[in-house]
Amino acid sequence: MRDLSAFPVAVKVEHLTVNYEKTSVLWELSFEIPTGTMCAIIGPNGAGKSTFLKTILGLLKPLSGKVEFFGKSIKEMRSKIAYVPQRASVDWDFPITVFDVALMGRFHKMKLFKRAKAADREAVKRVLEMVGLTPFSDRQINQLSGGQQQRLFIARALLQEADIYLMDEPFAGVDVATEKALISIFDQLKMQGKTLVLVHHDLSSVEDYFDWVVLLNIGLIASGKPAEVFTPEALMRTYGRSSHLLDEVSKLVKHKASGLL
Amino acid sequence: MPSFLDFFLDPILRAPTLGSMLMCLASSLIGAIAFVQRRSLLGEALSHAAYPGVVLGVLFAAVFFPEWEELLALSILIGAFFSACLGLWVIHKLQRSYRVSNDAALCLVLSLFFGLGILIASRLQFTHSLWYKQIQIFLYGQAATMTDVHIGIYAILGLVILFLLYLFYRPIQAISFDKYFTESIGVQVPIFESIISILLVLSIVVGIRSVGVVLMSGMLIAPAIAARQWTHKFSILLILAGAFAVCSGFLGNYLSLQIPIWFHLPNLSLPTGPMILLTASFFCFISLLFSPETGLISRCVRMISFRDRRYQENILKSFWKKGETPLTFREIANREAIPHWLMHFLLYRLTAQGWIVKTGKRTFQLTLDGHQRAARVVRLHRLWEVYLVDYLGQHAGKVHRSAEEMEHILSPELEKELSELLKDPKQDPHSQPIPSIKEIL
Repeated sequence: MRDLSAFPVAVKVEHLTVNYEKTSVLWELSFEIPTGTMCAIIGPNGAGKSTFLKTILGLLKPLSGKVEFFGKSIKEMRSKIAYVPQRASVDWDFPITVFDVALMGRFHKMKLFKRAKAADREAVKRVLEMVGLTPFSDRQINQLSGGQQQRLFIARALLQEADIYLMDEPFAGVDVATEKALISIFDQLKMQGKTLVLVHHDLSSVEDYFDWVVLLNIGLIASGKPAEVFTPEALMRTYGRSSHLLDEVSKLVKHKASGLL
Repeated sequence: MPSFLDFFLDPILRAPTLGSMLMCLASSLIGAIAFVQRRSLLGEALSHAAYPGVVLGVLFAAVFFPEWEELLALSILIGAFFSACLGLWVIHKLQRSYRVSNDAALCLVLSLFFGLGILIASRLQFTHSLWYKQIQIFLYGQAATMTDVHIGIYAILGLVILFLLYLFYRPIQAISFDKYFTESIGVQVPIFESIISILLVLSIVVGIRSVGVVLMSGMLIAPAIAARQWTHKFSILLILAGAFAVCSGFLGNYLSLQIPIWFHLPNLSLPTGPMILLTASFFCFISLLFSPETGLISRCVRMISFRDRRYQENILKSFWKKGETPLTFREIANREAIPHWLMHFLLYRLTAQGWIVKTGKRTFQLTLDGHQRAARVVRLHRLWEVYLVDYLGQHAGKVHRSAEEMEHILSPELEKELSELLKDPKQDPHSQPIPSIKEIL
């Protein structure tokens, strides 16, 4: 199999527009994320960050535009991509053990309908050890703290042995120890040539953690190395009044289109 | 009086018994999926939404094929199925396009469809009064008049559901827990969701014949609630829910026939449907009471055993503070706010377990083990006081109360952590010595 880490562009987005009913939630996005980087997707609430991840994963249908992973479509590259949804998007009272959640990361390998093999179980044990959840392996998931829940999600993604990791706010509501542990895991992945794309909220840590930044607010504000694009001026355009105006207008359009105003 | 086996062999009893058991199995399995997806109320809305379909089905058969009684059941099934599907679609539409919240949409569809059904039914009462009886059956269910045909229908549905669950257990579990992740690895989530919805509608449509529109949702959910109290695994939850449901199905039939006989009340007629549901609810109630983790009983046991431990350790502490001198019963009893009868019991147990030893008539003394255990309690107490004063900046005069509680709670791991954090202090904030680790081992 060809080595994907040699391919220079991991994610390529061209003229991507996503509508919710008649309003654009993402508008004419075009940018590239280089292979082997840790990339932050940054923007205010409602800027379409989660929508962006879901769209490039094929969970939402774009109105127009194209997304490529290593030059191929999502359908061909599905097994190379791991997705970590927001922690709050699932029901943590669900009757399932820590081990079984992690095992979901092996589904593409074990062909969904088959039983787990010894190799699958070993892999799960190894990764749970890595994220420090071994003592919780047989516990029900609602006994985990917020940080532990996030580590479990990361463990599941690690088990997918992907080349691109798309994560929706992996640091939201986790303790400092977990954040540090996750960062060291992410660094290891990067050293193996993997590409990480994280929806991120904490602006103060952007320059420490990331070597690529995408500033997003419905449209693309900037994309590039933090030193070049993570400027006060760009942040102003992402979070400031001008984008606020766009937000207001898009709400207005939405209301007009659906006949609410 | 029918024997136990008659319920499975007798041509008249067999159909309702086996039919109910199979129906309960099918609906409990599909209901358990809805339950873990937190969509319990969907069953309630859809069973009511099926009602106008039942009415129209009867009307259709009555008008066009009044001579063909066999067609009636089919006509009702088809009517109910489409009516429930329409209800499902309206719920989706309300939520998606009109931003009506889930519970409001369910509520609206439930009352709208049910109201519509009642409206048409009450008209039929006068125009087709013979057929009206057929409609009434579906309101509260009537298992007693079921035939072998029903067994066949329920058996097929039950087998289909069992087969699909066996084959697609993993994807169903994954979708129920984390839909987006499952879709991201390439599982066709919408197809599975549609299959689950259709099976839910089907099990409701065939189930209302025996338990009725009004009670149907209980049959979907009750076994799952009962099962959830015993397990944290989805697979075991499904098995337990199925088992509870099958038992309810049988017991409902059995009891509705036997209770009037047992109590010599030949005029008492207990309808099967409600009886099945009551049995299922009884399983629920028992499970909630005896659940090993959250059950009332096990919680009481844990509370009592904690209180017991606190009493024991406090008594040991009293001995420890007196040093080597033995204490008489009166001296001990005066120090603790414990009734005398309980004190006798506690001292008896402490002696039996080897913490204290009887040295004379009504006098007791700590054993070496007892001394160590008491020292540990005192150590925890004083460590906690140091922690509160040094680290949380509380006043030394106010920390005793909290320490009285914590001395019984702190685990050896926390003790080690505290001791490391505080650098193994020798004195508590009241300048009392803290027993060293060596004294405890």
